[in-house]
Amino acid sequence: MAHIAVQHLKYRYPLTDELALRDISFTVGEGEFIGIIGQNGAGKSTLCQALCGIIPSFYKGAYGGKVLIDGEEAAKTPVAELCRKVGIVFQNPFSQVTGSKLTVYEEIAFGLENLGLPREEMVRRIDHALELLDIQALREQNPFDLSGGQMQRMAIAGIIAMEPQVIILDEPTSQLDPQGSEEVFRAVQKLCLQGITILMVEHKMEKIAAYSDRVMLMDKGEIVDFDTPQKIFSLDCLEACGVQPPAFTQICRGLGLRNGDTGLYPVTLEEAHKALDQIKGGAAHG
Amino acid sequence: MADIQVKELTFGYAESKPVLQGISLSFDGRSTAIIGQNGAGKTTFVKLLKGLLKPTAGDVLIDGQNTREATVASLAGRIGMVFQNPNDQIFKNKVLDEVMFGPLNIGMSEGEAKEHAEAALALVGLCGLEQENPYDLSLSERKMVAIASILAMDTGVVIFDEPTIAQDWRGRRTIGSIIRGLRERGKLVIAILHDMDFVAEYFERTVVFAKGRVLLDGGTREVFAKEECLRAAYLEPPHVTQLCKSLGYNEVFLTAEDFVSHVKGNGFTV
Amino acid sequence: MKEISLYEEKDTPIHALDPLTKILYILAAILVPALYGGRTAMAAFIAASIAVLLAGRVLRRTLPILSFSFIVLITVVIIQGLFRAGNTTVAFALGPVVFYREGLSFALGIGLNVVNILLSFSILVLTTRPSDLVEAMVRLGLSPKLGYVLASVFQIIPQMTATMGTITDAQRSRGMETEGSLLVRIKAFLPLIAPVVMNSLITTKERAIALEVRGFDSRREKTFLRERKARGRDKAVNALLAVLIVLALIGRVTIWLT
Repeated sequence: MAHIAVQHLKYRYPLTDELALRDISFTVGEGEFIGIIGQNGAGKSTLCQALCGIIPSFYKGAYGGKVLIDGEEAAKTPVAELCRKVGIVFQNPFSQVTGSKLTVYEEIAFGLENLGLPREEMVRRIDHALELLDIQALREQNPFDLSGGQMQRMAIAGIIAMEPQVIILDEPTSQLDPQGSEEVFRAVQKLCLQGITILMVEHKMEKIAAYSDRVMLMDKGEIVDFDTPQKIFSLDCLEACGVQPPAFTQICRGLGLRNGDTGLYPVTLEEAHKALDQIKGGAAHG
Repeated sequence: MADIQVKELTFGYAESKPVLQGISLSFDGRSTAIIGQNGAGKTTFVKLLKGLLKPTAGDVLIDGQNTREATVASLAGRIGMVFQNPNDQIFKNKVLDEVMFGPLNIGMSEGEAKEHAEAALALVGLCGLEQENPYDLSLSERKMVAIASILAMDTGVVIFDEPTIAQDWRGRRTIGSIIRGLRERGKLVIAILHDMDFVAEYFERTVVFAKGRVLLDGGTREVFAKEECLRAAYLEPPHVTQLCKSLGYNEVFLTAEDFVSHVKGNGFTV
Repeated sequence: MKEISLYEEKDTPIHALDPLTKILYILAAILVPALYGGRTAMAAFIAASIAVLLAGRVLRRTLPILSFSFIVLITVVIIQGLFRAGNTTVAFALGPVVFYREGLSFALGIGLNVVNILLSFSILVLTTRPSDLVEAMVRLGLSPKLGYVLASVFQIIPQMTATMGTITDAQRSRGMETEGSLLVRIKAFLPLIAPVVMNSLITTKERAIALEVRGFDSRREKTFLRERKARGRDKAVNALLAVLIVLALIGRVTIWLT
């Protein structure tokens, strides 16, 4: 059985006329790293919120279809219960800090206290989460004193400690500096290697290409295509959907360098390097 | 052409911990990107240029006027700054009124302010939304309202604090073309940026800040050639630059087109 | 980090006491003199509070609190000393201004009362982490949601002050004057307050969702990371305070009966 199964999901925000999501269906297997791309307003964040039940519990409006997380129907499960299976990290690290805790360690415990876990279990999980996100050194610091990248990793740790099988990240690095983003990407990749399913919305296409198993391209509330990064970034309709492929793909497109077997363009630095190395050698000889 | 001179600028919120130390820079007409890790002092630096903060030591001269002797409001007509979060400034019920607020404050007449505001809204692609309530717009549109409200003030210097945050490809392109347009009209553009590909595409000069000092300063191509130095400041060159370096090119390429036309120019065809 | 809480982190036996013990102390400091009815009891509690604050190494921090209340108390002394109904015995005169003993004595009572209450509250506020206090109250049955609001106020208000600073900068950058005459300041009010309100609403909505996905609304019984601190020493102090209150009560009742 698929880990996440979305069937004919439709959604319209209250007081609006247009559907934000129109008939979305897809499945995701356990441990996959899924990149979600598309221009602003394509429905990416709306989809994320539907996957963890914020829609329709927090935002009302018109809802149709089904979201199944590990067999459990998202719309029929309270968010406070569903959060044991699926966690979500948002764009703004600052508004995810609870504000009621004085140290990073206690901040991560917030969700665990709500779940009513015994103290020993909390300590075990917090220590594990601190280690995974590489923020042990920050455990006694005040959450508001952290840098953006550190704060975002603390937010992820707070979610990880609840041990969900799926983590959704909605543009988690858009407000961070290059080092902070890199810290977050590395941490997320580590989580994926631990078997956690990742769905990540992101505008940094080079990162999406490097980390994703599959990429979902959305536009106007629909899934345009959902396939390997190579396939998605070779689509002709990409620009029309408001997405620029990775810089490496742009170069190979400009030079018409496709993979001989698949007919697709390279998407990562390594792939582009390989393709360009051949022509560089060829040009030198010719 | 606006002229900014920064001489031996030192600043600290507390005396024991200087945020900026002995910075000397002069800005010419080139569009200039300021890059560096968070906490390197970039935002503090532009606040000093804007006169929002006053130097602990050293001077900032805007067209010869020392910021120590000028109020922020009096500098507002010369130097504009677009803040990161548009929600920090929007307060009017109508987009047009919001954009006219700055121009009216710096002494433009109602008619002049309206003319400038409409031109600025056209530039950021918000034509036809003049009568809307800014809060009914999306966040990226509100960002454009914030940019327009500074452009309408028609200042000689325009500072952007991380303009590309949360922008998609289209938004980035619009902001890029605004920056080019300002440059063509002889304005001095200074921007704090985290997006190196964007810096490579749109900026002529790049200044790297690290720990309150200027680590590198020069033409963008020249700065991105110094990979080791950038890594010391926890920065990476643009993706295209990285790829070309790994392929063993000695030249520094900044954008995909840059590299593609080079290869094609060397007689490559598929 | 700016904090609006007065708490100061220190490693003293007073800091280590259970917050509930400190609450019980406040109760005793108010109830015992009220029941016993003497100024001696009040003075004794004031002396005890000073000793405890000294042991907690926070006595100096009470100065701003006391000096503020001092201004109020001076007013009380003057008004009561001069005008209290029933003023008959002259205490002293400053030129034409005559102070009466009855009024002064009444003002002294009020003064002792205020200082006593302030000092006993100071022990709680200055030596207890706000979050520990709230947690103790949640354990006693306060709703966890109300508890969260109380605990977060201490940190979120300073954050809002920072946002306010950015907003002021943004509007000054657009040529708005924020300093000068009252009229200038009034004109600056709307451009400053509207973004503050809007920003708080947006952040609050985002934070509410972020709390929700961390099980804030969970129906399960909440547990606590920090161990409950009540130990032998706390129990001893609690017992002592309880005995004091009961004794004062018995004393009061005996006076009534006789």
